[in-house]
Amino acid sequence: MPSLPRIDARPRTKRLIGVTAALAASAFVLAGCSGGGNSSSTGGASASSITVGTTDKITTIDPAGSYDNGSFAVENQVYPFLMNTPYGSPDVKPDIAVSGTFTSPTEYTVKLKSGLKFANGDDLTSSDVKFSFDRVVSIADENGPSSLLGNLVSTAAPDPTTVVFTLKTPNDQTFPQVLSSPAGPIVDEQVFSATALTPDNDIVKGNAFAGQYTITSYDFNNTIQYKANPNYQGLLGAAKTPTVNVKYYAESANLKLDIQQNNIDVAFRSLSATDIADLSTNSKVKVVDGPGGEIRYIVFNFNTMPYGATATDADPAKALAVRQAVADLIDRQAIATQVYKDTYTPLYSYVPAGLTGATTVLKDMYGDGNGGPSLDKAKAALTAAGVTGPVTLDLQYVSEHYGPSSADEYALIKDQLESSGLFTVNLQTTDYVQYSKDRTNDVYPEYQLGWFPDYSDADNYLTPFFSADNFLANHYNNTTVQDEITKQVGETDPAARTAEIEDIQKQVAGDLSTIPYLQGAQVAVVGSNVNGAADTLDASFKFRYAALSKG
Amino acid sequence: MSSLISEAAPETAAESTTTFKKQRNGGGLGRYIIVRFLLIIPTIFILVTLVFFLMRLTGDPITAALGGRLNASQLHERIHAAGYDRPILVQYFEYLGQIATGNFGTSISDNRPITTILVTYGAATLELAFYALIVAFIVGIPLGLVAAYFRDKGQDAVLRVFAILCYATPVFFAGILLKLIFSVWLNVLPVAGRASTGSEFEMQDLPHTTGFYLIDAFQTGDPAVISDVLLHAVLPAVTLGLLTAGIFLRLVRTNVIGTLNTDYVDAARSRGVSEYRLVRKHAYKPALIPIITVIGLQIALLLSGAVLTESTFEWKGLGFQLAQYLGARDFVAVQGIVALLAVIVAITNFIVDVAAAIIDPRVRY
Repeated sequence: MPSLPRIDARPRTKRLIGVTAALAASAFVLAGCSGGGNSSSTGGASASSITVGTTDKITTIDPAGSYDNGSFAVENQVYPFLMNTPYGSPDVKPDIAVSGTFTSPTEYTVKLKSGLKFANGDDLTSSDVKFSFDRVVSIADENGPSSLLGNLVSTAAPDPTTVVFTLKTPNDQTFPQVLSSPAGPIVDEQVFSATALTPDNDIVKGNAFAGQYTITSYDFNNTIQYKANPNYQGLLGAAKTPTVNVKYYAESANLKLDIQQNNIDVAFRSLSATDIADLSTNSKVKVVDGPGGEIRYIVFNFNTMPYGATATDADPAKALAVRQAVADLIDRQAIATQVYKDTYTPLYSYVPAGLTGATTVLKDMYGDGNGGPSLDKAKAALTAAGVTGPVTLDLQYVSEHYGPSSADEYALIKDQLESSGLFTVNLQTTDYVQYSKDRTNDVYPEYQLGWFPDYSDADNYLTPFFSADNFLANHYNNTTVQDEITKQVGETDPAARTAEIEDIQKQVAGDLSTIPYLQGAQVAVVGSNVNGAADTLDASFKFRYAALSKG
Repeated sequence: MSSLISEAAPETAAESTTTFKKQRNGGGLGRYIIVRFLLIIPTIFILVTLVFFLMRLTGDPITAALGGRLNASQLHERIHAAGYDRPILVQYFEYLGQIATGNFGTSISDNRPITTILVTYGAATLELAFYALIVAFIVGIPLGLVAAYFRDKGQDAVLRVFAILCYATPVFFAGILLKLIFSVWLNVLPVAGRASTGSEFEMQDLPHTTGFYLIDAFQTGDPAVISDVLLHAVLPAVTLGLLTAGIFLRLVRTNVIGTLNTDYVDAARSRGVSEYRLVRKHAYKPALIPIITVIGLQIALLLSGAVLTESTFEWKGLGFQLAQYLGARDFVAVQGIVALLAVIVAITNFIVDVAAAIIDPRVRY
């Protein structure tokens, strides 16, 4: 009979079903034992440990191969720097150094503290410092920060506590800042390779750390466990919490849900504006913010903008009037509030608020003088230059590169400009890779860009944009500005340098080759019992876990 | 002539008999296995080639990362140093030569060897696929039997609609919906990840980790870690499992109904055997045979579904990594991961094809 073999197969089938059922049952029994979704093993339960969640991504924790926020966030916790920014300040001071001074115009000499050690017991001497900078330059990894050391000729270690940097440009006042940048972490020459990137696991295994924390457990872009380093003798002091666990998320929505349910203690970078607005009404968490280094701005191509140099009706005065009218009409506060729920703040100059030398020059010169828009001033600017009728602006933005709200941001800018009756705005968007090529090939008359600083110095918002060989390639060429930029870099008197930076902003504001309009805020969402976030959300733009405590 | 015919006739008859037997037996199993195995190579080759050229259409990773920071000449220098400005065919043949030696290269965005990435995250994807298959079996097969038992009645209609919903609902939508209900509203299951942070550290402390969290969790001997790992698996497994469960449900139902319409079942029915016993004793096993064949196809579906499921639940497996590397336009990593996924799918299909050929000789060449 055909059915007979099936009877033979039955016990096997039963066994299979039995095993499967047992597995499922054990899963649910165990699940029941655990007491719900808020597992007790999140790592954030005791006051001696804090769990931080982030959507940052690490490239590598070898400083020679990374030049991004996620990797630098780790490096800031575990590596020592010669210069660093104390809590609450944008300006650098010696960290594991005793002093840092120009001993000649092209020689910057750093004296190290004596008796410095890495967590693995190796001595930290000037030889390690020389090794650290030499390898960044020689490896020159395509993802690395070697470009920040463009002014460095050589590094010497004449004795165990002295380091001499020889520079190309005399009295480079940005160099101490560079020492606190992604190019500046000091690594252990006994552990790191001089000629190639060292794998992350080898670094962790070698315990080659001398910052406020060491790494005791490392699962790439998944979890990191930090333990306070008792050997750290630097500027920032001892860590307030012995253990910090960091969990890496890919989706900010998941980060938000976990902080909302107190599965983690701190959420830092990058919750959406809507999520932050929602969390600010949640009594279980606190939203803490501080100045951010990110800026958003519109770039004008001096050749192809209306009345630009290569247009048939080229007229520099009319082109300037168009830029002035745009500056008069943009309502920065409306963009910050309506689009970004105040997670961005209005930016009225080229150097963002919080940094030494920052001004509000655009507020004074354009709009209503108080930061608001002014239709009358815009009209007056255009009329004075002889511009009649609505001016057509082909405004380009990137929908996918600067966060999901760029479309809303530019829809509002279009509305602000068009509602004046002075402009007709054609909004266009392009994939970022194509965008990056097009904008330097004069394809876009006006376009959006954003900027994250390399270090917390005003120069990092001036040289890249307005020097002779700037990356904007928008044909803006003001030799007076260029000379002043060069001068402030070498100005040894801090007060005089600040004055020069302020003056550069004034001149650039007159030319309006770009219009900055938003400054990012650093926002951390913390559990109601977590303290210290406000101390580290400063103009250094470095989030130090060592400032956090619980209780 | 006659002698010629008489000499030739037996030979022809013998050949004819052999041919008939071959047709009846479905050809030789050895030849079938060799041909099927050799077909794996062009399958993987075509896929790797497609991915190579499609990824180049999206632009280079250096411009994607640094386009807003460097001027045109600096950008070009970096692109030149990385070799992305060379003719695409040169890059292609170089890549083929590289993978022919088993070297999948190093990720552009994080400098990790591709083989390390494959080993590190492959276990997570396999673990999720395993869980999903369990869910598919637990849900699809019994419900398929129930639908067949109640064929053309209300219960059957409900189950058929359920099956359609299961495989027609986008995986990410089902995932988000389940997360909303069980993680946010009811707060009984974790939001994302393969384990809580504390459990992960406990597992990382083991002398030998396997990457299969369930095995690693049992190695810790800590019931809290085991339950934590299982809890984290529930929503991703159900999300991905339901996709396949819907297909299993429909397949089992159709096959059981087909079997229930055969003569021998009619004969059994006429002897007074109850419908329940007919389903349980006569129709159950034949309905499972096509499931085995379909599993091969489902592996491909599970792996493609895993990309979305892993991304939704931050299940850090190959699918999750693939999505991340795609975002970074990391050619090398994407090519490596896709090649591995292609190998898994091709080998699974090969095994299933061979199993089917052993069970049913008619499919052989």
